[in-house]
Amino acid sequence: MLRRILVCAGMVLAAYPPAAIPQSASTSRAFLDTYCVTCHNQKAATAGLALDKMDLEKVGEDRAVWEKVVHKLRTRAMPPPGRSRPDAPSYNLLITRLETELDRAAAAKPDPGRTAVHRLNRAEYANAIRDLLAIDIDSESLLPVDEVNHGFDNIGDALSVTPVLMERYMSAARKIGRMAVGQPEIGPFSETYEIPRFLTQDDRMSDDLPFGSRGGIAIRHDFPADAEYTIRVFLQRNSRDYIRGLAEPHQLDFRLDGERIKLLTVGGGPELKGEPGPTFSQAGKIGDRASETYEHGGAEQPLEVRFRAKSGQRLVAVTFLSKNAIAEGVFQPPLTQFQLVQYKGGNPYIDNLVITGPYDVTGVADTPARQKIFVCRPTRTADEEPCAGKILSTLARRAYRRPVTDKDVRTLLRIYEAGRSEGDFEAGVQAALERILAGPEFLFRIERDPAGVPPGTAYRISDLELASRLSFFLWSSIPDDQLLDLAESGKLKDPAIFEQQVRRMLGHPRSRSLVTNFASQWLYLRNLGSKTPDPKLFPEFDENLRQAFQQETELFLESTLREDQSVLRLLDANYTFLNERLAHHYGIPDIYGSHFRRVTLRPEFDARRGLLGQGSLLTVTSYANRTSVVLRGKWLLENLLGAPPPPPPPNVPSLEESGTDGKPLPLRQLMENHRKNPGCASCHATIDPLGFALENFDAVGRWRSADAGTPVDSSGVLPDGTQFEGPLGIRNVLLSRPEEFAAVFAERMLVYALGRGTEYYDYPAIRTIVRDAAREEFRWSSLILATARSMPFQMRRSEQ
Amino acid sequence: MIFKKAIPRRTFIRGVGVTLALPLLDGMIPAFAAPEKPVKRFSIVYVPNGRIMERWTPEKEGTDFELPLLLQPFAPFRDRLLVVTGLSLSVARHAPGEEVGVHERPCGAYLTGVHPKWTDGADIRNGISLDQIVAKEFGKHTQLASLEIGLDSAGILGACEKGWSCAYVNTLCWRSPTTPIPMENNPRTVFERLFGDIGSTDPAERRAIQRRNNSILDSLSEATGDLIRELGPSDRARISEYLDSIRDIERRIQIAEQQGSRDLPSLARPYGVPTTFQEHAKLMYDLQVVAFQADLTRMITFMVGREKTDRPYPEIGIPDAHHPLTHHAGDPQKIEKVVRIEALQARMFAYYLEKLRSTPDGDGSLLDHMVINYGCGISEGNGHSVVNLPLLLFGGASYFKGGRHVRYPKDPPLSNLHLTLLDKLGIPVENFGNSTGKLEL
Repeated sequence: MLRRILVCAGMVLAAYPPAAIPQSASTSRAFLDTYCVTCHNQKAATAGLALDKMDLEKVGEDRAVWEKVVHKLRTRAMPPPGRSRPDAPSYNLLITRLETELDRAAAAKPDPGRTAVHRLNRAEYANAIRDLLAIDIDSESLLPVDEVNHGFDNIGDALSVTPVLMERYMSAARKIGRMAVGQPEIGPFSETYEIPRFLTQDDRMSDDLPFGSRGGIAIRHDFPADAEYTIRVFLQRNSRDYIRGLAEPHQLDFRLDGERIKLLTVGGGPELKGEPGPTFSQAGKIGDRASETYEHGGAEQPLEVRFRAKSGQRLVAVTFLSKNAIAEGVFQPPLTQFQLVQYKGGNPYIDNLVITGPYDVTGVADTPARQKIFVCRPTRTADEEPCAGKILSTLARRAYRRPVTDKDVRTLLRIYEAGRSEGDFEAGVQAALERILAGPEFLFRIERDPAGVPPGTAYRISDLELASRLSFFLWSSIPDDQLLDLAESGKLKDPAIFEQQVRRMLGHPRSRSLVTNFASQWLYLRNLGSKTPDPKLFPEFDENLRQAFQQETELFLESTLREDQSVLRLLDANYTFLNERLAHHYGIPDIYGSHFRRVTLRPEFDARRGLLGQGSLLTVTSYANRTSVVLRGKWLLENLLGAPPPPPPPNVPSLEESGTDGKPLPLRQLMENHRKNPGCASCHATIDPLGFALENFDAVGRWRSADAGTPVDSSGVLPDGTQFEGPLGIRNVLLSRPEEFAAVFAERMLVYALGRGTEYYDYPAIRTIVRDAAREEFRWSSLILATARSMPFQMRRSEQ
Repeated sequence: MIFKKAIPRRTFIRGVGVTLALPLLDGMIPAFAAPEKPVKRFSIVYVPNGRIMERWTPEKEGTDFELPLLLQPFAPFRDRLLVVTGLSLSVARHAPGEEVGVHERPCGAYLTGVHPKWTDGADIRNGISLDQIVAKEFGKHTQLASLEIGLDSAGILGACEKGWSCAYVNTLCWRSPTTPIPMENNPRTVFERLFGDIGSTDPAERRAIQRRNNSILDSLSEATGDLIRELGPSDRARISEYLDSIRDIERRIQIAEQQGSRDLPSLARPYGVPTTFQEHAKLMYDLQVVAFQADLTRMITFMVGREKTDRPYPEIGIPDAHHPLTHHAGDPQKIEKVVRIEALQARMFAYYLEKLRSTPDGDGSLLDHMVINYGCGISEGNGHSVVNLPLLLFGGASYFKGGRHVRYPKDPPLSNLHLTLLDKLGIPVENFGNSTGKLEL
């Protein structure tokens, strides 16, 4: 019954036809007078709004204010709880009227806004290098973190340039130039790869490691030359510096690009026949000399392999052959972090690898990077400069995202000559490449007002500028040759070609950035890395679980993107991605193995459907030692409902952990105590019920039926009287208003696509996006296409 | 699941909930300084797990004292040496209700004079360390405000002793009460921080890099100037920021070039972390000398080992972990091993002193124009005693009169020494840590 009412309400909302006859100004005025003007009048001027004064015939002249009014009405934030409220049809009629007027005013005088010069952020820089030079760089070690604004790290106004950053760009340019061109004369050096300490290594760790392997690591290492290299393995030690897990022999498998290059045995040495040190650290107690030597480093000395490798990026894997003493799948209660650092037993783990080289260099093979760069090779000295010109023009066109001018080429050739005179042809090219990578033409996205456009007016951006916007939106990277060619020949304007390109780019693997950059920031997924659930309360939370959470949500998001599902499925899809570890955590049986696979959720796991059932988001919205209905409620309001609550007032006291008799109280009761205060209730009446709906999920996303001994009560009431129960209830609330969710999604996507925050003059465009996408059930592609076609994306406001 | 390369130490500490302000200077543009007047420098060298005090403390006081075994390597520098006896780190005693932490507290308090907070979580708390106060002042004149280096890797993180965060033993340096600074143990990284991404300190190579930088920077300035002329006012701001940044780098290169270049000892960029203790220590000492010589920094803190380290010394026939050995309970064999470890550390430090003494600086040597503190926050490792700390000062005559052993009565706090040193270094403050006044050096 309840569901039907919600569905009906939803249908009314979803079905409001843009061409409906808007209500008359006098009816709107009556609405405002009845429900709004009591507070929002000239005298009281609540929130600075005087609705009695405003003219409903001239909505278009005060768009900023009316857009705010519409927003409050759409989210039902106004009238506030406790006041008399109109019925849903009345809300909708007023909203329709206002929006029609606002859209009409916007169409008459469109304002696409204006982003100033926009620096590439770290992720975009790394992707550009990948696409330009076929090199994967560790951008986090080369460049500092970017400033975040409006929830994203690609906002033009926030991305500043400082001398420190400039130094980093120059240093990165040098490193990348060397890596890309290849350097036959460098001396040997070491590169260390570490495994996070709290990553349990009792299973196969990744798809890059062989079946039947346990623990260890697989990495893509850049071999700078055809030469010999060594790998040294260092094993994990406990807090007394004993190497762990040496009691039994284990086999250590070394592979290069999937082929085994060595198998070594570690552990179980005869040195341990005497008296080894204690298994759990005890002050003052040590083993005999032979075992001490062995366990403090002797066992590790022979773990070095020397091998020959050709230059380029190759997969290096070091792992143990699986030899578990305990049956697989039988879950052992893990040691707490404190116990683990004292423990010398269990399986040996790898702590880090050191790859050193090159020794005995024989040459530099043609890596993918060199192939991209050297589109010609000079056979005689006279060929060198023309060839350099060709190489640099090709690179610069892609790096600068536009046709290259004579001036560009002359500039680069000057640097080439300086480098050539100190070295050889390749050194010259390398120097000029450094110049490209540190230059403003590469680092900044610049859009230019065309000549003759009056100040402060909207104009269509050029095809080349549109190509850049598209590729940074869909790929977080530079345009590819196909897109550049079309833009250069002026064909991108053609609507059919434009749509074809958008769809092509969406289908390309590079569009994964929409998951890793857009969705992960929209949903606060990036915070997962810094969450530290209390090891005493959640001893089973380790790095493996954290990574599993991340994988699950990323795979899930990507699947909806690749299958072009409706974004509403993010809320209620009947499947997710699990591996054994994660399935066990969720209590879902019959999932075996460490790899992730798609799993249809059976009816008894209905609560897990969609994003709201996933450990990543449930952990991100909790504290280290308990859930937080406020964090979860706030997250829902901000990210899914588009109604962010205002910040709390200063000096809010912290939550009492127990009642007056000292017994721990369930969270609901604690929150009730606070909500008795009307000053708090004004906001918390909206925030808390949403958070309560998810109370069956604890702070690390496990299902629970009781909290502090009391059964979880996950019921709630929304300010407009809607009742709901648990995750299913909250999902239905969200799905009953698909337009609202789609509007939130569209707004977030527009911020990301434009690289600026949204303003009142963007909302008509957002409404158009939602309307257009509604025709295709809000599929990913419909929202993306509508965004790419939107007025602010296709146009720009000229300088004032 | 592909693991990222060499996740920096900082990321580890971030996992415990502490965010670090990374020193982002690349050291790409070195300052080859030939300073006009003698500058002031401070070098802190920390040896962990206490000392066998009966082999350390001279019997007699004043100028006529004998050098016990552990001080014998310093005989050539006797005239620069001040043996300081009697100071205490009472602020590191355990507070009521606290458990264990007998290494965490003294290490945390050694340069702060503050009782570190008993926690293993994200709410670690200490004080601002002495070196950072010095760095704030000295950093006005140098490329790098300070350098924090060590021989042990960050290793165990999270909880060390029950309830105590490993941050307290992994570092001595705290930029703020909540910001520990990680000790860099990779000599290659230290080299690159000082000299940038280059193969050696060879002047020809430096000049080649500088020429390359200059030609690229010229080209960038020109291109940017053109760009700015084409853009409207609202677009110019960001490009101007970029241009200002380029100009800033050019200016610093100019200053470096004007200051003239010195002949630095030829030091190739290290390949990574050496396998033996001696190689590693020697390399780190070499880097410290070169850093001072090139005036890249005037404040360096060096941990020969993290506090409570379990490093064995197989090269001198000691496969046992250091820390458990220091709990000798009177066993002469264990004591003998500990003494041998401490003697080795002292010999390596003497190597450092010798290099400092033989490196010219202004009208004397580097050793003449600096203060070095060699010591530990624990005296008897067996009992984790925090009174009567093992402390040595080496340095120029302008700081104190050397060749003496001074015993201070009534257990003055270590912070009093720090207060005095700050004054000598030209950074007088009212108080520091739990200081009660200055000491007569």
